[in-house]
Amino acid sequence: MVLSTVIISRGGEESLRLARQRLGADVVVVPRGSVTGVEGALLLGNATNTYMPRGVVDSIAAVPGVAVASPQLYLTSMANSSCCAVSLMFMFAYDPVTDFTIEPWLKEKLGRDLGAGQAVGGADVFVPAGADKIKLYGYDFDLVGNLEPTGTNLDQTLFMTFATANDMAVASRTKAKMALPVLADTVSSVMVKVDPGADRNAVAKAITEAVPEAQAVPAAELFGSYGSQISGVLRTMVVIVVLTVVLSLALMAIVFWLSVHERRRQIGVLRALGATQRFVLLAYMTEAALLALAGGLVGAVLAAVGMYLFHDLLVSALGFTILLPSLASLFGLLVGGLLIALIVAAVAAFVPALRASRQEPAVSMRE
Amino acid sequence: MTAVSLRGVGKAYGGDGAAAFAALRDVDLDIETNDFLVITGRSGCGKTTLLNVATGLATPTSGTVTVDGVEIWSVTDAERSSLRNRTMGFVFQFPSLLPGLTLEQNVMLPLEFSHEEHADARQRARELLDLVGLGQRLAARPRELSAGQQQRVVIARALINRPTLLLADEPSSDLDEETEAEIMGILRRIHAEQGVTILMATHARQLVAFGTRRLEMVDGTVREDAEHEGASGSARPPGSPGQPGPA
Repeated sequence: MVLSTVIISRGGEESLRLARQRLGADVVVVPRGSVTGVEGALLLGNATNTYMPRGVVDSIAAVPGVAVASPQLYLTSMANSSCCAVSLMFMFAYDPVTDFTIEPWLKEKLGRDLGAGQAVGGADVFVPAGADKIKLYGYDFDLVGNLEPTGTNLDQTLFMTFATANDMAVASRTKAKMALPVLADTVSSVMVKVDPGADRNAVAKAITEAVPEAQAVPAAELFGSYGSQISGVLRTMVVIVVLTVVLSLALMAIVFWLSVHERRRQIGVLRALGATQRFVLLAYMTEAALLALAGGLVGAVLAAVGMYLFHDLLVSALGFTILLPSLASLFGLLVGGLLIALIVAAVAAFVPALRASRQEPAVSMRE
Repeated sequence: MTAVSLRGVGKAYGGDGAAAFAALRDVDLDIETNDFLVITGRSGCGKTTLLNVATGLATPTSGTVTVDGVEIWSVTDAERSSLRNRTMGFVFQFPSLLPGLTLEQNVMLPLEFSHEEHADARQRARELLDLVGLGQRLAARPRELSAGQQQRVVIARALINRPTLLLADEPSSDLDEETEAEIMGILRRIHAEQGVTILMATHARQLVAFGTRRLEMVDGTVREDAEHEGASGSARPPGSPGQPGPA
């Protein structure tokens, strides 16, 4: 329980931090009233159905304090795409001319710009067996590379330029079972970098006032609802964990009392044969420690394996992404979990063990 | 030479008030080296309490107990435990072998609490199991043995540290007559051949004949059995040290 809670809470917060960092913008501008939708798209790959005319990019760029304004378009594939480890794949289009968030990152990983018809995929995107291209909405993509796993929605994302996205939209009208539901010259969001020294909040307020179709949010405030959701889940889990630990402590104490009571005669015999009080105390505490280590190890491994196996299920149930820890972090968490198990067992066993060790051997041996 | 000495020893259960039950009342007793002392008396008369107090297993309410020259209730628990381990062997009325250990491991168990090296521990454990007729069952577990066989292993365990004093509390009470005779025969041999002082409590009057000295306990007090003390060898089984046996 403790391990799962730590993985979920830390993984959720880390995921939000990474998502904010990846955006790399000072202010994010979205269609008015659709902040939550865009957050869901960026974080969970949920489809967005609200768009702004591309013309807002110029209006935003004209607002005082805005250094760069770069549009982005978020799309999703049809259900059950054969190219992806997930049912729905997220597509992310950007403007290579103005972009300052995706392009540098892709360049670093890929080493070059993306051309027309080319896309780069997240870690879970692949070319279907027997094909040499990814076909989406009747349009063939060349998958020119894959990015490293992040544990976020980016792993199921296909990155492309606006030009390629438009080509796909056009192709979908004649070649796909269903046309791509996006109008020409629309954008999902505009990433804004402010002038050095400019107040991000003031710039966001100015954009919202200047562009009626748009709503600007300082990047630091983005995913606020998810942060609250994680905090809520964390609070609930902390309560459950505390109750579980208290209950475990009580149960273990009862088990040790019963164990001591059941073996009181053996303890008396050992004392008669020369065992000291210290020996009896240490023997019980060692037994408690070994039981805690064995139980803690089994529990921690099950929790860790469960988190990996049911990661997608958890993400969908909790409503936020969870960045799974690295092996080194997981090892640290396992050690921490075992330490907690040891402490709980030591506290639970100490009083029964002390009483057993201090009892007169003759009393221990009496029926 | 005195092996165990009790002076003014009392033991009460249930507090200091009027409701307290006195299991031992002002007992003065000297057990000499090489005695085979049999303590008899009805159930509840204080036989087991006397053994427990004399061996440091139960704290006396009053008086002093000296074993091997050491006043055992004025030393620390560790020192008292070490003294028990070095000088005493125990045979209890109830099954007292550890079920998870083999017979050999059970016999060697007291050595775990000794601070000395025992290079010949296994050899000695085998010899002792041979002595009690179970030398071929070293790897057996206690549950594979009958009650009488288990009690024989307990006797072997009691001797592993070469004790000078063997305490036996109703060692044959749960056994049939034939097995009882076997157990008593082993105790008699240990006393005769190894010179171990034996302090045995029993309610079975027929076992008095195995001892060299008899005490009767009544309501927490001890009474020397003058008849047995002064009797001819007829009350003592043949082969007892210093006793020629019946003519």
